[in-house]
Amino acid sequence: MIITDILYDAGFAAVAGIGFGAISDPPLKAFAPIALLSAIGHATRFCMMHYAGFDIATASLGGALTIGFGSFFAGKKSRCPMTVLSIPSLLPMVPGIYFYKIILSLIMFLRVSGDSPESATYMQAIWSNFLFAFTTTFNLAVGATLPHFIFKEKAFTLTRKKNKNTVLPVKTK
Amino acid sequence: MKTIPSDTSSPQETELTSQASFLSEYASTLMGSGVHTSRIIRNTKRIGEAMGIDVHISGLNKSILLSAKDKQTGETINKLEEIPHKPISFEINTNLSRLSWEAHDEHLSFESITQRYTYLSGKPKLHPFVILILASFANASFCALFGGDIFSMGIVFSATLIGMFAKQQMLARGINTFLTFISSAFIASLVASTSFVFNTTAETALATSVLFLIPGVPLINGFMDLMEGHVLTGTARLINALLLVLCIAIGMSGTIMLLKNTLL
Repeated sequence: MIITDILYDAGFAAVAGIGFGAISDPPLKAFAPIALLSAIGHATRFCMMHYAGFDIATASLGGALTIGFGSFFAGKKSRCPMTVLSIPSLLPMVPGIYFYKIILSLIMFLRVSGDSPESATYMQAIWSNFLFAFTTTFNLAVGATLPHFIFKEKAFTLTRKKNKNTVLPVKTK
Repeated sequence: MKTIPSDTSSPQETELTSQASFLSEYASTLMGSGVHTSRIIRNTKRIGEAMGIDVHISGLNKSILLSAKDKQTGETINKLEEIPHKPISFEINTNLSRLSWEAHDEHLSFESITQRYTYLSGKPKLHPFVILILASFANASFCALFGGDIFSMGIVFSATLIGMFAKQQMLARGINTFLTFISSAFIASLVASTSFVFNTTAETALATSVLFLIPGVPLINGFMDLMEGHVLTGTARLINALLLVLCIAIGMSGTIMLLKNTLL
């Protein structure tokens, strides 16, 4: 079932987002938007990879852009800076398995002697896993940063109180 | 409060001195709590504006330079403030950013700004035990996202619990960050390597067990700083993040070296 697959993915991403967010001590009000953004972002990447045939790097860019734009609107509601919401939501998309494969192939490469045919196989594994890990991480950073430059001034005023709330009289200095 | 005798300096001067000290402390606290540089500069300028002070900041990786100019008298003070070592805190980021807008919009007095600042920066944090549990659930879910089954999730949960506990304890005792990251990565992956005894998705468990250590905040902040032209702080943050990733790799390769015959 497509729906259950997507929900499975989104649900675990939400738990991961909350937990990784907790390490960076966010305000309590930020937990709900972080969970929502992680779920939406990861589900976007999941759909792009499995139903639209994109590779992991491009799909990560799509997911990160969703999170980036989403953090602007969620930040407006909860008066949190965009990075407070977007960084924890991005973490479930970090391509950890490729980092592991780089280390594993590197250790194997060092073990075999330089001339053997296995050496070339491991070398190729190091390089291809590195490219996957690097491009994916780079695209995550680009996707989360880009909305800042699009919204510019508006992105700076998220933590400002909305006009309807500021009924306090203006004190003279 | 005032330690300088009033006959050696005019009251105007001491006021600007204390305001400049406050502004540089505010900026360095934000810098230490993991906020990207352009936000720190905007926030500090905004508070300075509310006090009638022109603020200029140059951000470096270990310290900040701040110049405060009283708009009425034209008097200028320069401050060099070291950046304190603090844990990353999004709550301080959020609250102090809100404070800057409140000071700007509601024209708060200097006294009330400092009072609010002291209150906000002393707010209690999440209990380490809660963070431990949440991070363990997060890493177990991460394992599921990479295709791990329920047994690997359980193993990753316990690996994170033990690894994260080691990290918290070592950081609380002031042990070097790099050593902490190497040891926690080694401990977490060693616990996760028990999965090779069972018939489960052992490689996924081993690969995801150390990911709670990934330094996401300096990575994204460093990238943002670079894009916004703060190349010095941006590069410093990225290099710091890269070193931490290398430490995770070193810790994990310790486990892989022990296991290499199983993995071959």
